[in-house]
Amino acid sequence: MRYLKIALSKGRLADLSIEFLEAAGINCSEIKDPGRKLILSDEKNKVQFFLVKPSDVPTYVEYGAADLGIVGKDTLLEEGRNLYEVLNLGFAACRMVVAGPAELAGKLDKLNNKRVATKYPRIAREYFEHKRRESIEVIKLNGSVELAPLVGLSEVIVDLVESGRTLKENGLVILDTIADISARLVVNRVSMKMESERINKIIEGFRKQLEEGAGR
Amino acid sequence: MTSWKIYTPEGVQDILFEECYVKRIIEEKLRNLFRTYGYNEVETPSLEFYDTFSAVSDIAPQEAMFKFFDPQGRILVLRPDITIPIARTAATKLKDEQSPIKFSYIGNVFRYNELGGGKQKEFTQAGVEILGIDSPEADAEIIATAINSIKALGIENFQLDIGQVEFFKGIMEEAKLSVQDMELVRTLIDRKDFLGIEEIIREHDIDDKLKEVILNLPGLFGSMEVIEKAEKLTSNSRSLAALQNLRNIYSILEDYSLEKYVSIDLGMVQSLNYYTGIIFRGFTYGVGFPVISGGRYDKLVEAFGMKSPATGFSLGINLVMMALDRQKINYKMHGTDSLVCYSNHGRRAAYGLSQELRKQGLVIEMDIACRDLEKAKEYARAKSIGGIIYITDESGIELHNIKTGEVTRTSVDELLNK
Repeated sequence: MRYLKIALSKGRLADLSIEFLEAAGINCSEIKDPGRKLILSDEKNKVQFFLVKPSDVPTYVEYGAADLGIVGKDTLLEEGRNLYEVLNLGFAACRMVVAGPAELAGKLDKLNNKRVATKYPRIAREYFEHKRRESIEVIKLNGSVELAPLVGLSEVIVDLVESGRTLKENGLVILDTIADISARLVVNRVSMKMESERINKIIEGFRKQLEEGAGR
Repeated sequence: MTSWKIYTPEGVQDILFEECYVKRIIEEKLRNLFRTYGYNEVETPSLEFYDTFSAVSDIAPQEAMFKFFDPQGRILVLRPDITIPIARTAATKLKDEQSPIKFSYIGNVFRYNELGGGKQKEFTQAGVEILGIDSPEADAEIIATAINSIKALGIENFQLDIGQVEFFKGIMEEAKLSVQDMELVRTLIDRKDFLGIEEIIREHDIDDKLKEVILNLPGLFGSMEVIEKAEKLTSNSRSLAALQNLRNIYSILEDYSLEKYVSIDLGMVQSLNYYTGIIFRGFTYGVGFPVISGGRYDKLVEAFGMKSPATGFSLGINLVMMALDRQKINYKMHGTDSLVCYSNHGRRAAYGLSQELRKQGLVIEMDIACRDLEKAKEYARAKSIGGIIYITDESGIELHNIKTGEVTRTSVDELLNK
């Protein structure tokens, strides 16, 4: 039997995935203690795991280097890959928002030249160009995005918000919500067909875990 | 400034000896197979006007095409596809041809693809098209040709998924969604994003039964039972006709005993402006993308001025080569059989003998480097050449078996009569 390959987002998302993988009958002992190995496995079920950077998960899955992946919706939106997005796992929930100074609330349309600071240039463009049909100038940053409007680098930001505390403490408000974000199970388009039995078993296991979680 | 002379642009490749040999074998197998079905091969130009392709944005968006200008300022493109040029040819040059017109092609196409997983910017497609016939028989023949093509290349583990875009179009018509919402639903179904669809459907005032079909759409794939299930969920005539069409095609494929390779996916909703009936994709192990794609496109030829139904498929040769490699299906390269060594006065005999053996289909290299016997043996070993024919004089020759070291003395006449 060939290995079923699963790409996991390194870090918190991988830890939270374990509960689901175990519910699907997969042995996760190697993931819990990965050491420096890049490929981890459950030999009995013939499953292999890669721990990769979250933004690389969709790439591995689209190209078929991994059959399945667990990754945040934010990454999926930003990477725009061609894959099956079969399950919302619910964890790591937050929102992708447009935020800015309070005086801009309800006046986003009035702003002539919009400079948008973000870690997610593609999501920002999609939202402004397709949904709002407005041109923007994207300023790509790699962290502490909230700083940009405070120091005049941009008018607004597009970023992930969990509690909203950072925004509040820096005098910014949410101007609009772009999307609700949480972890998703994604599947390569060919694997879904060629390995449907094994993959469906995993999806079913995940789904059961979701239902049980909801009932708790 | 950096000089780029020793590099090749990203996304194009040199294909050397063994790989090229395998590629030619694949192309030959496909060419022969297409011919035995009565498809006639055509060649269309690599360079065409942009306008030819811009009529059909679904297949080749403008961002994906390599563009140039001609001296009159018109936009030229490197063809991103060969089906569209074939439709152009048919509508402009083959108007009076008796239907069906059966085309085949093997050629390179060019797209600004993102690289990876076997995708290149220049790649080879092989395919067939049937123009002028809109019966399930034509669609079934196209599918059968696709299946037999991939089998002919030695791949047994593959699956062909068939969908019908009219099924989806019928449901959307019934649901009366706006164009934007329809596109959104289409994208979500294409991604099999059950939750996304649920969210969007909840917002709309749609009949409950219809809601159920839409929610079910991404999961409507698998064996023929999918069609039964879909029939129970649907009442609009357009969608039901689509399902009946699938049934008809499937039963022809049963007569061909090919049904074991086929499954159904009603959630295949790509390129809806292009496809007008069945749509199919072929998958195999080792490649993350479909190696075959095809379907019915009854509107395309009309864009060039002639009404004609059409159906066809194309196969990505580079992707198939990757699958063969990953599945460890090897084509052994037929190298040189013998190296003929000679001295000046043996040249005439050497050439005569080489020509005779080549006529028999053997691969014969003459020792143009004029090495001595030992050096020739070294070369033969390096190139896995089976033996050396050493011409000692006008009629006497020595046969050196490189592997065993065995030497046989014989004459030209004797060797040729063997």
